[in-house]
Order: sequence, then structure tokens, then C-alpha cells
Amino acid sequence: MSKPRPPVALYLHLPFCLARCPYCDFVVYAGGDARGPRARTEHLYAAVARELELRADALDGRFGRPDVGGPREPLRSVYFGGGTPSLVPVEWLERLLAVVRDRYGVVSDAEVTLEANPGPEERGDPAAFRRVGFTRISFGAQSLDEGELRRLGRRHSPDDVAAAVAGARAAGIGSVNLDLLYDVPGQSLAAWETTLQAALALRPDHLSLYALTLDDPDAEGITGREGDHLPTPPGARRWRERARLEQDEDRAADQYGLATDLLAAEGWRGYEISNWSRPGHESRHNLAYWERRPYEAVGPGAHAFDGVVRRWNAATKDPYIAALLPAQGAAAEPPGGRETITPETATSERIILALRLDVGVPAAWADRSPLADSREWAESAGLLESMEVGGEARLRLTLRGRLLSNELFARLV
Amino acid sequence: MRAGAISGRPSRDRERSGTAARRIDDSSWAFLLAGILMAMNAERDGRIPQDRLRNFSIIAHIDHGKTTLSDRLLELTHTIDARQMTSQVLDSMDLEREKGITIKARAVRLEYQAADGLTYGLNLIDTPGHVDFSYEVSRSLQACEGAILVVDATQGIEAQTLANVHMALRQNLTIIPVLNKIDLPSAQTDVVIEELESVLAIPREEVLLASAKDGTGVLEILEAIVARVPPPKGDPEAPVEGLIFDSHYDAYKGVVVYVRLAQGTLRQHDIIRLMGSGAEAELLELGFFRPQLVPVSELRAGDVGYVATGLKSVRDAQVGDTVTTLPRPAAHPLPGYQPAKTLVFAGIYPVVGADYPVLRDAMEKLHLNDASFSFEPESSVALGFGFRCGFLGLLHMEIVQERLEREFGQELIASAPSVEYRVVLINNQGLVTVDNPSKMPNAGEIEEIQEPWVKLSVVSPSNFIGTLMELATNRRGSFLGMEYLDPQRVLLTFELPLGEVIVDFYDQLKSRTQGYASMDYEEAGYRAANLVKVDVLVAGEPVDALSVIVHRDRAQPVGRELVHRLRGLIPRQMFEIAIQAAIGSTVIARESVAAMRKNVLAKCYGGDISRKKKLLEKQKEGKQRMKRVGSVEIPQEAFLAVLRMDDV
Repeated sequence: MSKPRPPVALYLHLPFCLARCPYCDFVVYAGGDARGPRARTEHLYAAVARELELRADALDGRFGRPDVGGPREPLRSVYFGGGTPSLVPVEWLERLLAVVRDRYGVVSDAEVTLEANPGPEERGDPAAFRRVGFTRISFGAQSLDEGELRRLGRRHSPDDVAAAVAGARAAGIGSVNLDLLYDVPGQSLAAWETTLQAALALRPDHLSLYALTLDDPDAEGITGREGDHLPTPPGARRWRERARLEQDEDRAADQYGLATDLLAAEGWRGYEISNWSRPGHESRHNLAYWERRPYEAVGPGAHAFDGVVRRWNAATKDPYIAALLPAQGAAAEPPGGRETITPETATSERIILALRLDVGVPAAWADRSPLADSREWAESAGLLESMEVGGEARLRLTLRGRLLSNELFARLV
Repeated sequence: MRAGAISGRPSRDRERSGTAARRIDDSSWAFLLAGILMAMNAERDGRIPQDRLRNFSIIAHIDHGKTTLSDRLLELTHTIDARQMTSQVLDSMDLEREKGITIKARAVRLEYQAADGLTYGLNLIDTPGHVDFSYEVSRSLQACEGAILVVDATQGIEAQTLANVHMALRQNLTIIPVLNKIDLPSAQTDVVIEELESVLAIPREEVLLASAKDGTGVLEILEAIVARVPPPKGDPEAPVEGLIFDSHYDAYKGVVVYVRLAQGTLRQHDIIRLMGSGAEAELLELGFFRPQLVPVSELRAGDVGYVATGLKSVRDAQVGDTVTTLPRPAAHPLPGYQPAKTLVFAGIYPVVGADYPVLRDAMEKLHLNDASFSFEPESSVALGFGFRCGFLGLLHMEIVQERLEREFGQELIASAPSVEYRVVLINNQGLVTVDNPSKMPNAGEIEEIQEPWVKLSVVSPSNFIGTLMELATNRRGSFLGMEYLDPQRVLLTFELPLGEVIVDFYDQLKSRTQGYASMDYEEAGYRAANLVKVDVLVAGEPVDALSVIVHRDRAQPVGRELVHRLRGLIPRQMFEIAIQAAIGSTVIARESVAAMRKNVLAKCYGGDISRKKKLLEKQKEGKQRMKRVGSVEIPQEAFLAVLRMDDV
């Protein structure tokens, strides 16, 4: 049984957006819930700052302070996700980062990412972001096709994406990511290729290519009072029902294959099922998830992991604020849930997460259950292949294996 | 166990009545008082003399108002007061109320003070109106001396009216013809009276006019029962002979049998013997149907009532058996019933394999209340362990399935219904019967396949003759004859293979005649037929539950349709899957399900691993619920959907 370990990464969830995109499942407050006094944005930022301190207190108690050379090492990555964190006033970003540095420690070459939308009224001031310490910006571009952006309910144009990337570069942001979506209603294989080419022309360092996934969090039972997701608004639900009809498994597989070939030809590394980068620009923060390293997390709906326990905050912001900023008395942990990972689950999680990566898993992992039971099947089905890295035999997913990874993973959970 | 129950329970009632008898001897005053008490008891027990008993049924075509009339009779005789009156009192099963039909025969005792000032005991034995249950009708009639024939004045004689009247006449019952719904503007009273006279030779002066809905003529019906139906015969002092005409199972009282007592007197704590099964038991309770079970101290010759036996197995007390008592049993049992003949067969399977034992219990329990369906274990590659069941007809099948699902909380899959084929094997190897298409011998071993035929009677407005002829011809039927009931309505008779009737013939008949036609059928023997078995193969493996036996001419379209439907229901899998229909080794239709290309959780974001894991677990559970045919995983729903689809 593994022991709890101190975090190497930290995630902050800042849930405000100008508008809610109909396909988005993340904990987001938009429109009137994100602007004006009723939105209580300042309260939320203050509550996040308070939670940072509270979690740091707990870590201090368990592992000691980060600056005393004990087991608690400074963070290697910090990620501001959302929501649209680029909407957060720079003063607040600065204050939050100050608490992080003070209470968690941050290594000098840390990856500090800010998620941003490319629209002119959303993308913020990259120079200010650079100044307060962000090293990486991840833009929610989604597409570089005007029509697709409209169909997805996005507010920005392809030119905005170009301007946003240029601005980040000019401000000296060292690493820029673009999120792009495939299997979008009405998106042909050719249109997808055009978007990819247009994205490459902007010379980003990292691309996250996600199949548009239209889930139903309500049906999954994760949107209740203590749930880590918010209920899907009726409009979004209808949008998803319509869009699902226009999704196509074969097209999606072709699009994925095309991206894989195209990016490989450009010298990019597809280091994870949905992530490609120029060498050296792999997302250190996301790698922490897949490598199953411990991470701390704050903000509504955020998930943390200490090596043994997965913990999450509930999604609703008012109870979150109320717990952390009580009218009187001491701040309390916000509502949420936790799950202790059994050794068996840990083993299967480790395999499933690691198999998402291009380096795969040591072949020796297949000597034991659960991979032992499925290796032969997966190899004969063309999902898994052997390779060698530095003299070590490893197993990794093939292209087909990545596309059909759930078929294998469902046998491993 | 049974003997223990008999000897172990003291008979207190008998001791008490012994004491009372001695006191009566002591004093004439006491004697008088006892006489008054007995008279009151007689009233309360309904101990009405035998010559004032009338046992009758109501026979009618479905929807002609039989149940409404029963309700009205109950109300007028104060068996149930209007306040308690829920519509359709006798149809006590939820299913019966929902479907508006009577499934099980039911009995009720009415007490009626007639115009002559005397109180009569009228035992009404309700009968089902659907063709599937004509067997139950015949059982009910056997317990009666009279029958009220209800004919809808707006509809006239229907196919089942004819069948039921003939059945009643064969048993020498007095028939009281009633024209119902005369209050409706569309009533054609004269035309229907004419019909009764010309088709059934019923004198017009015997016909009563009524509206069960508004109560018109109902008193006249009661008076006619008193006046026209003869009282039951039988000697209350003779050895007991009681015919079991129905039964139900009660968790506390065991098997409760419904008897018509032909001879003798039954009393509580009598030791009863069932002459057919030989089972013996102490009579726990007996009584009348009012319509709830009301205990009385005795049942006498001519009475209709219930007897709680305490027996745990309905096999010990089957419908048609004769109840007698010890130590003075009857010399011979009453003529019983032909066992119900099952005509339609289907496999019934639990959705979850682990529920098989629960289903078995449910089957056994339901069988206690409905002995007319049969079941025996079978297993299917596609559906796992289940039961091969026989039913009286398609509606009966539907009802049994629904009752199993409802009353026992079981979700079920039923395979496509089949008839029972006779297969003559080559080289004089004899004859086998096959009620499950997947059990059909290989074509090479078959000399000849024979299928059951029926004689079908259809009553319909004459303007639908053409479409009905076409329907019967499409179903391989041959036309036998046509008879005009009145200038607008005809009785058509056909012969058809039963297999063509059981699928959706009735629905077709109704839709082609805007609901006006009615049908009834009787068996007409077996005939050789050019039939073949069409198998459905998934990735080369036969899916036994989907095999069908069809006429050779229809094999190709049926095969194509089955393959096409299944193709749309099998989810894409790791490899392309061929779906074929074949006769023996000859493939007659083929389609394929393309290989799955993408099943990936694209996003892995914000560290929410728990959600991803749950989604994977759900996929895993989904896979575990699938049925495996060879290497192919087929969701149960796919079988269900193919099996539930209409006629192929």
C-alpha cells in the first residue's frame, strides 16, 4: 500500500466565463453569474486564496513546510484552469500566485499555465501574465474555421486566435498551446486538415486535439448538491442531442489518423492520446496526472490526489464561498467528497493512465493482473505493441489501440 | 405431513354443535329458540333450499357488455352496494381491468328476492370472452344449468357468440338471450333479433331487451333466470361429488378450489379426497363468493363455492378433478375436463441469468393459478437458461408474461411464438414433435414437416369480404364458405395454418375491417407443408433464439428482414461481423456490421480521474451484460428488439 505523498503540481479552478459553450461540462459560471455584484467574483477569488492557505496548512501538518529540505518539495507545475482564467483581474492572479509561492514553493523552472480564450475581450494582457509569472498560455481555440466556431457557440474568430498567439509570443510567453476539436458537426476531413494546417502556421508549441465529447453529467449522477459538476442547462442539453446526431465514428477515426500522420511529419511528438507537442514542450502539469503523481487542487469542482486519496470540491460556488469566507468564525473546508484508492484500483489506474502515453508501460507490468489477462487479446486485436526504450522492453498502444483504448481500459478497471 | 395436520387439530366446532344438540333435547323453549337462530343462520349462510338455486354463466363476445351486466346484477341484488362498486368488480386482476377483458373465470353468489317473494340463490360464473380462453368457457358452462347470452344490439352476432352458443347448447344449457345496449342510437334491435332467430334458431319472443349500462331490463333478466333456468339436481345426503372448475393459490389457505357440488354436503373439517390425484386433506374452510370469499358451515348439492384445502401443490387439486369426502367416498368421479390444449409455444427467459431460480419459482406459483400454461426448462445459447412454455393462444402468452413480470417482479424475454410441428423422419425413424424452431432436425433427416391447421370463422360487415379473402390467402388459407347473417353481415369460414394465425392475424383482421370483424377458430388437424427453418448466424454462429420456421416461399424475405433488423441492433465491435440468414448451409441473406473504429476518452483534464474511471466501469458492466454468441457481444436489448418486432 502506497503512502500519501506531498503534491508536485497544483490546479486552481477559476470558473467564470463570458458565455457558456453548449458542449462544455466544466464547472463554469457565465453571463449574469460571472458579472456584476450578484456574481461575487471577488468573493470567489478570495475564497480560492483562503482555500490555498487552508490546504497549505494541512500539507504543512502532514509533510512539513516546503522550504526546509524535508519531503515536501516545491511545486513543479501550477495550472490556472476554468472557466476563463484570463478574465481574472491580473491583481488577483498575482495575489493567488503569491500565496502559492509563499505556501507551496515553486521551482525556478516551473511550468505555470494560464487558460485563456482568444477573443479580444477575453484574452487579457499577456505581458501582465508574463510579468506575474505565467510561463505558458493555453488558448481554447477549438477551431480555425469560422463556420465551425459559430456552430460551437464560440465568440471568437480565427483571426482572434492568430492575434492571441502573436500577442503571447510578443509578450515572451515561452510555451503556447491551442485546444482544437474534431468530430464537430459539419466538419469534413478536409476542413479538419485546414484547421490543423492553420494552427501549425501559427507556430504553437503544443496542441491538444479533443474529439468533441457530448456527455450527460446529470445521467452520470455527478451534478447533485455535493456533485463536482453543475447540471446541464436545457439549451445545452438540446444542443448536444442535435449535435450527437451529426457526429460520426468513422469520420472521427479518420480525423484522428490524419492528425497523427500530419503532426508526425512536422516533427511533433504525440506524447499522449490527445496531446502533441514540439519536443521539450510536453505539458508537465498534465503529465503529472498521467504519471499518477500527487497534485493539490483548489476551487469549485477541483480534484486533488495525494497518492492514496482522491478528493474533490463540490461544484456550486456559493456554498464554496460560504465555507471559506464565513461571516464569523474560522474558515472551513468546502463541501465535497473523497475516495480512498485501494491497491487493486491503484494498479489498474496506473496502467490505464500510463498507457495513454506514447512511452507506454514496462512490459513487466503485463506479468501481473490485470494487464496479464488482457495482453494477448489486446496484441492480437492490434491494440498493443511491444517496443524498446533504452534497453527496456515496453508495451504501448498502437494508433488503432489509442482510438479503441476504452475497449482495453474497460477490461482493466 | 398431511396426516399430521389432520390428526393434530381438534375439531372444536363439531364438539360445540354436539353440546347445542343436547340442550335442544332438554327443553322445548330452547328448541324453539334454536329454531329461530337456525333460521337466522340459514339466512346469513344463504342456506337456500336447493330448488331455489340457479347456476348460470354469462356468455358474450368480447365488449358486448358481459362485465357491465355482471356488475349491474351484483348491484341490484345488493351483493355489492353502489358505494363500493368499482367498475368491473369481477375482473379483479389489474390486467383484466386494463385490457377490459376477463381472463379467469370467476364466480359470485347473488341472493335475489324474486317477484314471487322468495329469496333465490343465484350463482353467477363469469366467463372469459376471448378466443384463447374458450376452454375456460366450457369449464364454466359445465358447472351451470343456464347461460345468459349477451349480444350487443349495435353489433349483432360475432364469431365468438356462435362458438359459445354452440358450446352451451352441446351441454344442454337453458339459454336466456339478451340484447344489450338498446339505449344506444345505433342499436339495430330488429335486425339482431332477426339474426338470432335465423342463425341460432332462438325464438324472438324469448329475447330480452336490456341496457346493462343504465339498468334497463336487468330485473327482467333476474326474473328470467329464476323462471327459466332449472334448479340443480343432486342429493345432499349422497356421497360427495364436487367438480373443480377453477382454483387459485393462497399463501395462507393453500390451493383454494372452486367447486360445483353435484352430490352430497361438504362441511368444515371433513377429510376430502381428490379422486384424480388421490390427495387427501382436511377441509380448512369453505364458503361462497360474495364476490370475496365468505365462509359458511356447509356446501350442499347444487351449490357453487370454494374449498380451501391447505394443499401446497396445484398438481394435487387440478381443475376437472372431483372432490369427495372420507369415509364415504363417491363411487366414480364426475366426468372431468379435457386438459387445456396449448397451441402456442415460446421460450421465456430472465433478462439477468442469475434470476433463473426466481423465475422458476414465479412460474410454479403462477401455474397454481393458471394451470392452462405449460412450462419446462430449456437453455439457449443466446438467452441462457429459461423455460419453454405452452399457451392457449397469443393473448394468453401475453397475459402470462405480463403476470410473471408484474406479480413476481421479473423482467423477461420471450422468444418468437411458434406452433407445434410434427416432423416425419426419413427411413421410417418415426415422428417427432417440435415446438421450438431451433430444435428442428436437419433438413437432410426430414421426410416431411406437418403443421397444425385451424378452421377459422370470421364475422364481418360484407363490404370487407375482399380484404378478408386477401388476408386469408396471403396467410396460405383456403376459403371454405360464406353465409349471410343479415344483408350487411357475413360469416366467412377458412382453413389456415395455425402458425399464420398466431402471429398478427387478429391485428390485421381488425385493422383491415376498421375493428368490425371478429374471429374464432378451432383445431382442424395436421397437414404436410413445405416449411423450412431459417437460422440467423452472427459471425458464423447460429443464434438459436432467432430461428424461425416459415413457408419456403417466404424464407428469403423473412431471412432478409431478420438480418437487416439485427444489423441495426448489434453495436460495432472490434472486427467486422457478418450477419447471415441460412437454410441449412445455404446462406439466403447477408449483411455486416462494420468494425468499431473509435472508443476513446479524449479528454483527461483537470485531474478528474474518478469520472473517467466510472465511465470505464460503466462500459465494463455493459459488456458483462451482453450475451456472447461466439466472439460477438450482443446486447440483450438487440434480441428483445428483434423478438418484439411485429411479424416478419
